[in-house]
Amino acid sequence: MDIVKLPTQPRTGKGSRPAARLRKEGLIPAVVYGHKQAPVSIALKYDDLSQILRHHHRLVELGLPGGGETALIKEVQHDHLGKAILHVDFERVDKDEKIVIEVELKLKGTAPGSSSGVLDQPLHSLKVECLAAQVPESINVNISSLLLGQAIHVKELVLPPGVVALNDPDAIVIQVKTPTLEAEPGAVPAGEGGAEPEIVGRRVKAEEPAAAEKK
Amino acid sequence: MPLMPKRVKFRKSQRGRVKGNATRGNTVAFGDFGLQTLEGGWLSAESIEAGRITAAHSIRGEGRLYIRVFPHKSVTSIPLETRMGKGKGEPEFWAAVVKPGTILFELAGVPEATAKTALAKVAYKMPFKCRLVTRTAKGT
Repeated sequence: MDIVKLPTQPRTGKGSRPAARLRKEGLIPAVVYGHKQAPVSIALKYDDLSQILRHHHRLVELGLPGGGETALIKEVQHDHLGKAILHVDFERVDKDEKIVIEVELKLKGTAPGSSSGVLDQPLHSLKVECLAAQVPESINVNISSLLLGQAIHVKELVLPPGVVALNDPDAIVIQVKTPTLEAEPGAVPAGEGGAEPEIVGRRVKAEEPAAAEKK
Repeated sequence: MPLMPKRVKFRKSQRGRVKGNATRGNTVAFGDFGLQTLEGGWLSAESIEAGRITAAHSIRGEGRLYIRVFPHKSVTSIPLETRMGKGKGEPEFWAAVVKPGTILFELAGVPEATAKTALAKVAYKMPFKCRLVTRTAKGT
């Protein structure tokens, strides 16, 4: 994966109000940390960042006041609708340093079994260990030979050289299940007094007066 | 039958206010496509059931439907032509308290076109403005 240059500018104000002011100007507040150095608060242009995220780049060359630094996009915070970017975390890494990162799994082809069954994908991303400069954009999973009742496990995935999967090797990535009619989740059957839920502790209260009468 | 809790500590709850935005349950977690609400309020158990039936009809046994909200809150009302006072009314229906950004339903194992059609039909049944979201398309 290419390392993209990302121009930044220093950020002085801290807290939500200066951050909101920055976002109004088309800038995104960010922080760079790692390698046991002091964290640096920076701001970067929204357009530059969104372009990098659109192209699925993970490693960037940050233009900092003290010189360029290679960093990994650790976390991107979005608003409650998942639309606007609020903040970005960068972690300092060396190009020849081994890192642990989540990589997206992409399905390739059409499973022949999906015409009669249901395609179930419990795992959408894979935790891998690799060199920072060799982080794959995604890992392809070929499902063109997946029949009904079959599954692809983590150990059967074809990974790029130098990339090691850290998930359980027997974990299912994708499977074709037989369609089943599922019962309504959480619904109370009509025969069990479904009109009103059971009250916790009601029985205890009902027993108290009876006990008092006996005395 | 609409959803409702099996056991509760109290039959009636205070009304409360829906403030702020969803900070949890606002991302597609289980499926590939989701229906996200853009408004906050109460989503009745009947509305959830209507959405479930609509989606189930639309996908016709294909794929899998996830319901991401549950009606934990009982809403009471007093009968018509009753004088005020004499205590709180009786539970009328059960509702899920929903904040803007909450994912209401998710679909997995269906093509995008099918999911779009199904969730658009579900959105008609919802008392809120909704939008379709995908697992990957963030920040768009």
